[in-house]
Amino acid sequence: MVTNLILPLFIFLILTVSLIKKVDSYNAFLKGVKEGFLLFNDVFGSMLSMMFAINLLRISGLLDFIAHIFASSILKIEPSLWAMMLFRPFSGTASLAIMIDIFKYLGVDSFSGIMASIIQGSTDTTLYVITLYFGCVGVKKIKNSMVIGLISDIVGISMAILLTFLFFS
Amino acid sequence: MTLFWSMMILASILFALITGKSELLSNTIVSVGSETLDFVLPLIAVTCFFNGIVEIAFQNGCIAWLERRMNPLLRFLLPDIKHDQETLGYVASNIVINMFGLGSAATPVGLKAIKGMQKHNPDPKTATRSMVTFLVLNTGGVTLFPTSIIALRVAYASKDATSFIPFAIIATFSASLIGLLVDRWWNHGH
Repeated sequence: MVTNLILPLFIFLILTVSLIKKVDSYNAFLKGVKEGFLLFNDVFGSMLSMMFAINLLRISGLLDFIAHIFASSILKIEPSLWAMMLFRPFSGTASLAIMIDIFKYLGVDSFSGIMASIIQGSTDTTLYVITLYFGCVGVKKIKNSMVIGLISDIVGISMAILLTFLFFS
Repeated sequence: MTLFWSMMILASILFALITGKSELLSNTIVSVGSETLDFVLPLIAVTCFFNGIVEIAFQNGCIAWLERRMNPLLRFLLPDIKHDQETLGYVASNIVINMFGLGSAATPVGLKAIKGMQKHNPDPKTATRSMVTFLVLNTGGVTLFPTSIIALRVAYASKDATSFIPFAIIATFSASLIGLLVDRWWNHGH
């Protein structure tokens, strides 16, 4: 597969450029890693709170109950994928938590596992991005940015579903 | 967020009590901490790795090169800040870092970018055209290396952790493209 070549070639390219330009790539790497680890504090807290809520939703049967309302439509996909799509624009951690749930109970390489991966990668958390960025500069009238953001989410998620059906079923 | 989170938990507990599944709840409440740690650790480890690679790309000028390639496109997309090189630079960094799937690293420069746009805003309470376009681009989130998804697929022992990437790229690209087209048509007239 071509995809197996992307990462090695990418790293090869970056290290070659560094050697030519005499950049201290070893220490740059260490610096980046150290900064990456600082994310742990934030990530663990938000992941734990979301995993807790999603686990309770699943264990209680409420997630299945809600998702079944959608699952009765024409598209034959797992109820938890519906739940994931509903959460995707509002909370990236919640949809990530459902994706992990799908990996665990339906299989990471199953049809649902692959569809979940593509959906998660298809778009960003619109509500979070818009609240954070406009909140930061104190803009109150956000015009039609939320609507356009959600339209692009719907396009991304629909493409994800379509592509999985075309190439993985 | 608090309301959303509390409602999910309260509704679940209530639903479990009604349907008689309450004995399962305590198990989850006790085990969720270590379960979360089990996948957050590999996730952070891979993010650290790519953060290291991106730092090299940053120091050797690869990122700056990518940003310069994006400049003409950004001038076209964000016409009302096309003379503000600094802000355009922040927008470019934000997009480039997002491409590596390092959303949390992209946010600080993204915030600098929108602060830069706010400087040119005649009405600070109302979003400008550029802000809307920038956020549409950001929420579509063109990601070429979805780092955290790859990390989780590896952590759950996928036999083919990267085969989904081209399809995710097509999906994220269509999302951004349609978002930008709708924005052009709706906000910038014909």
